[in-house]
Amino acid sequence: MNSWRDRFNRMSGKTRFVVCRLFIHLAGQEVAPLLGVLNRAAREAIAKDGDLAVLGQGLVEICQSLVQYDTYWQSAANEGDVFWNEGDAGGYVTELFTDSAQRYLSEPAFEPAPEAELSLPVTQNLIVMITVACEGEVPELETDLSHISALKAALQALINLHYQEKLQAIQVHFSPAQLGDCLTSDQLLLNFPELIPL
Amino acid sequence: MINIRPITSRKVIALLMTLALCWMTYACGGPTTEQSQQPTPQDQQSPSASTQTQLADGQYPVQQATYDDANGEYSLFLLNTPAGTPPQFRTTDLQMAALTEAEVSSSQKAYLKTEGGKASLHIPQDFRIEYVHNVTETQTDPQSGQPQTVVVGQQSSFWTPFAGALAGQAIGSLLFRPQYYVPPVYQPGGGPLTGFGGYGQSYNQAVQRYQTRYQAQPLAVRNRQVGLRTTGGIRSPAASTVRRSPTSSGSRSTGSGYGSSNLRQPQRSPSSQYRRSPSSFGSGRSTGFGSRSSSGSRRR
Repeated sequence: MNSWRDRFNRMSGKTRFVVCRLFIHLAGQEVAPLLGVLNRAAREAIAKDGDLAVLGQGLVEICQSLVQYDTYWQSAANEGDVFWNEGDAGGYVTELFTDSAQRYLSEPAFEPAPEAELSLPVTQNLIVMITVACEGEVPELETDLSHISALKAALQALINLHYQEKLQAIQVHFSPAQLGDCLTSDQLLLNFPELIPL
Repeated sequence: MINIRPITSRKVIALLMTLALCWMTYACGGPTTEQSQQPTPQDQQSPSASTQTQLADGQYPVQQATYDDANGEYSLFLLNTPAGTPPQFRTTDLQMAALTEAEVSSSQKAYLKTEGGKASLHIPQDFRIEYVHNVTETQTDPQSGQPQTVVVGQQSSFWTPFAGALAGQAIGSLLFRPQYYVPPVYQPGGGPLTGFGGYGQSYNQAVQRYQTRYQAQPLAVRNRQVGLRTTGGIRSPAASTVRRSPTSSGSRSTGSGYGSSNLRQPQRSPSSQYRRSPSSFGSGRSTGFGSRSSSGSRRR
C-alpha cells in the first residue's frame, strides 16, 4: 500500500525526504572520551554558524567514533518518517529537535561545586541522539535499527550521506554534556523509554 | 468462454485507458503545482503572497524591476493595472524569459505575464533590473545571546540577466521560455551584474545549478536558512568551568545539542499528524509510532 504511494509520487516527479532520528546508548566508563568528540563537533558547528558542511564533517567524526566504540553499545532506538513535502519534513525536524532537547537539562544550572574536587566522577552512561534529513531513499536508515548490524550499517550510511551531499538537516544531541557530569540509569529509563537493548 | 472473452478484453482496454489517462493527468499536474508552490516564501505574512493573488491574469507592461537579495524578492512597477490594484507587484515566485526575436522586432517592451497565479517576466536582453544588495553582519542578540543576521547596509547595483547570454550560455532558445533564474555572485563595489548564476525549471533547480557552479548557496537562500539551533551549555563558555555536583541532578542529566537545517518550515503549524503517518519507520513500530507521545505524557 505504502510502496504504491511511494511509486506514484516518484513517477510524478516529487522529491522524497527522509527524516530520521536514532538513539545510541553506550555504557561503561570507557565511553567518556566520546564526550570530547561530541563537544568538539558542537564547538566547530557554532564557530561556523551552523554551516551544514561543517556539521556534516562533525557528524562523520561522531559516527566513526561511535562505530569504534561498538563494544559499549547497550541499547538503541530509532524513528523516522518519509515526506513528499519539504515543509512537512522541516516541521518534523524542528519537532524532533525540541523533543530531543527536553530529554536533558538544556538550560545549564550554574551552581558552584560544593567543594573543589580533585577527581571527577565518570559517567556510566552516554546517550547520543542523531537526527538527519536527506533527500532520496536510504534503506539502511528506514528500518528497525535495534540490531547491532543494522545500526552499524546505518552509521555508515550517515557517513556516506554526508559525502554524497544529500543531508538537508543535521542535529546532534548528547547527554551528559561534559566530563564530570553523570547520566544515571534511572534518568535513562525515565527520559529515554524507547530504548531497546541490543 | 468464447462469448465472454471479447467483452472482458474490451472492458479491460477501457479500464486501462481510463487508468492511463488518470495517471497522465496526475503525472503532468504534479510537478507544475510543485513548482508554483516551491519558491513561495516561508512566511505567509510577507506581502508577496497576498499581492500576487490579487493581480488578475493578463499582461502588464513593466516600468521598473527591483531584486532584493535579502529574501530573493522581486518588486515590479506595472502599468495599466486594473483599478484598485496597486502598481507595485512583489513576489519571490517569478520566472523570467527573454523577449523573442518576433517580439523585439515588433518593439515590444518588457512585460509581466500572469497566468493561473504564476508570474513570468519577459524582458529584452538589455533590460536592467535594479539589484539591491544587503550587507549583512552576524551580531549577538543582547537579549537572548543567540547570534542573528542583521542587515547593516544596502548597496545598489544593476542586474542584466540576459546580457550577452546568447553568446555565452549554450542554452540558446531556452532563454525564451520562462524559467527561474538566480543572479550571479555580487561583487562588492563591482560593476553591474550580467548573466545569471543558475537557472532551472524550478527554483530549487536554479539554486542547485548555482551551487555546483560557485560551491556556495545564493544569498537569498542563505538568508532564508534556518540558522543554527543549540541547547545546553555549549554556547556559553562559562559552562565549561562551572561544574554541577552530580548528586544534585534531578530527573534529567545535563546535555547539549546543536542542529542546522536547510529545509523550509511548514506553512501551517505543525501538528502531531506525523506520528500516525503510515510511512513512518523505526524500532518502536510494534507499539506504533506513538511510543514517543505516550512517553511524553508519562513524564509529566
